[in-house]
Amino acid sequence: MDTSTEGLAPPAPPASNAVAVAPGAPKPAGQRGKSPTAIAFARLRRDRVAMVSLGIFLFFVLIAIFAPLLAKLEGQSPTELHIDLIDRNGYPIIGVTGDHWFGIEPRLGRDLFARWVYGARPSLIVAGLVTLLTTIIGVTIGLIAGFVGGWTDRILSWVIDFVLSLPYLLFAIAVPAVLLTVFVGNAEGADATQVAEIRFVSLILVLSFFGWAGLARLIRGEVLSLREREFIQAARVLGVPTRQVLFKELLPNLVGPIIVSASIALPSYIVTEAGLTFLGVGLVEPTPSWGYTISTAVTFYRAHPIFLWVPVIGITVLVLALSLLGDAIRDAFDPRTRR
Amino acid sequence: MLLYILRRLASAISVVIVTLVASFALFFLAPTDPAGVICGNRCTAERLEAINESLDLDQPALTQIGLYMKGIVVGRDYVTAGGVVTECSAPCLGYSYTLGQPVTKMLAQALPVTMSIVFGGAIVYFFVGVITGTLAAKHRGSPLDKITVGGSLLINSVPYFVVALLVALYATVLPTSAYHPFLDNPVLWASGLLAAWLTLGLTNAASYTRYSRASMIETLGQDYIRTARSKGISERRIVYRHGVRAALTPVITILGLDIAFQLTNALFTESIFGLPGIGLLTLRAFAQYDLPVLMGGVLLGSVVLVLMNLVVDVVYTFLDPRVRLG
Repeated sequence: MDTSTEGLAPPAPPASNAVAVAPGAPKPAGQRGKSPTAIAFARLRRDRVAMVSLGIFLFFVLIAIFAPLLAKLEGQSPTELHIDLIDRNGYPIIGVTGDHWFGIEPRLGRDLFARWVYGARPSLIVAGLVTLLTTIIGVTIGLIAGFVGGWTDRILSWVIDFVLSLPYLLFAIAVPAVLLTVFVGNAEGADATQVAEIRFVSLILVLSFFGWAGLARLIRGEVLSLREREFIQAARVLGVPTRQVLFKELLPNLVGPIIVSASIALPSYIVTEAGLTFLGVGLVEPTPSWGYTISTAVTFYRAHPIFLWVPVIGITVLVLALSLLGDAIRDAFDPRTRR
Repeated sequence: MLLYILRRLASAISVVIVTLVASFALFFLAPTDPAGVICGNRCTAERLEAINESLDLDQPALTQIGLYMKGIVVGRDYVTAGGVVTECSAPCLGYSYTLGQPVTKMLAQALPVTMSIVFGGAIVYFFVGVITGTLAAKHRGSPLDKITVGGSLLINSVPYFVVALLVALYATVLPTSAYHPFLDNPVLWASGLLAAWLTLGLTNAASYTRYSRASMIETLGQDYIRTARSKGISERRIVYRHGVRAALTPVITILGLDIAFQLTNALFTESIFGLPGIGLLTLRAFAQYDLPVLMGGVLLGSVVLVLMNLVVDVVYTFLDPRVRLG
């Protein structure tokens, strides 16, 4: 597809000898033409901790995707109340049963297993979307700032520094408050589903707004050094359009840092989402979320520990697996790591 | 050097001013209806207007920002509906909508709490981290080293708020968390903060173990260490005198940035252990749509962050003579 678009300029020579090969495709271009990315993935496949972590992560992804199916298998829904199974003090009269695999919630009597499987969804959706958005924005801004230079770079660098020096958790609290008053008006009497939706969107927006700057700074630095390398100089001399230099020549060389940064960002956003929701400033009911369940379960932690521990174990295992995976990915992409 | 500091200061001030204007626009000029929030559900039109007037919300946007800035620099007067003049001296950040207290005073009460938590925690994680990291580097490759590295990776990967919550719920041996001012009773102050310090300290110590181990290993591979060894200096003296001193420089930089970060992000610790710092104040303000308090918290946070970053850069030149600011 390159050859047809490069009608005017003479086709650029393959930008790389050993340094730059298109990502993902581990086809040997000579006998020894393995790209750094391919080498890293080969290393990763041999890493047992990484593979187990990946398995756990995929397990949670499957749970999130098939949450309705799993709940149906159990025969429960995450919103149905079972008041008949709650005693006068608000405690459930049943424990773990064949009908309720993790028991039920105190006071409202909603099924805990159904809420748990549905709870995996917002965590993964929010964290996944934010990671995707921040990666796209960060890479684009970093590429432009590093490559174009001059005033563009100065302005973009200032913006990056500015975003990095904002107290981001405080903003994460403040911005949804403002968005809510803008869209819903006075908080009383607002429709719960609408509030939940706005909270969902504003959480993603706020986290994305503050998340891209770190990656942009990293990419800018990488581009500044790559820009002076021969293959880029050659491409420019040959008159390859800027956009093509950016995305066809530079980007493939940045795959390593981008993958590493995204794999470290993903678990951290899962924690942030659950943490903010736990504090009451993230997602709200009726969205079933682990952070929310943890915050309500705190009241019952002595009498009904399973209520607290099920979401705690869920989030801990997921984040642990993702962090170990991220760490392994970083090692795999780091040429200095000793094997 | 002085020129560098001045230039950095100018850029820091520009960041704070833009933050101020942006958050002011966000909080007060967006159609957020603060008067409606104060007035409540049964609100008459006259009362709404009176509130708008007393808070200068009827003024044009630029005048409002100007008044807010003037309040910070020289103070300002509020004229309430009955014609009563309330003087708010500089630095004035307005009054809380729900409590009626000056925001400056509320922040001044909350800041020492946050600082006590963060600096106390920092002492714990810095010393624990550096000691374990140095030991691991000294015995590199030994089982002790492997356990330290693996353990710190595990601790680092568990969500912080979950750890803090479990400590708060289950570690009943620790004294109950509460904040007592240091000047009233230092013993009560320390015991009330102990649980928070240990949680913040021991979870973060894991990162410092890794930083100082890596830095130490690099330092011990340097030529001057080999020279020291060849002079017959004892291994202990080499590691703890010659090594640690050089290896700590990058770790201290990270420490400064971490402290800055935690000063604005201590809200998990504060809310889980019930300590009334900046984070908890902002959280309460969020729950009550108390915009001036939110605004004050955000502003204070950005000033702290910007200042700490500047301090770290300047201190670094003293620690590492090779770094020249220019």
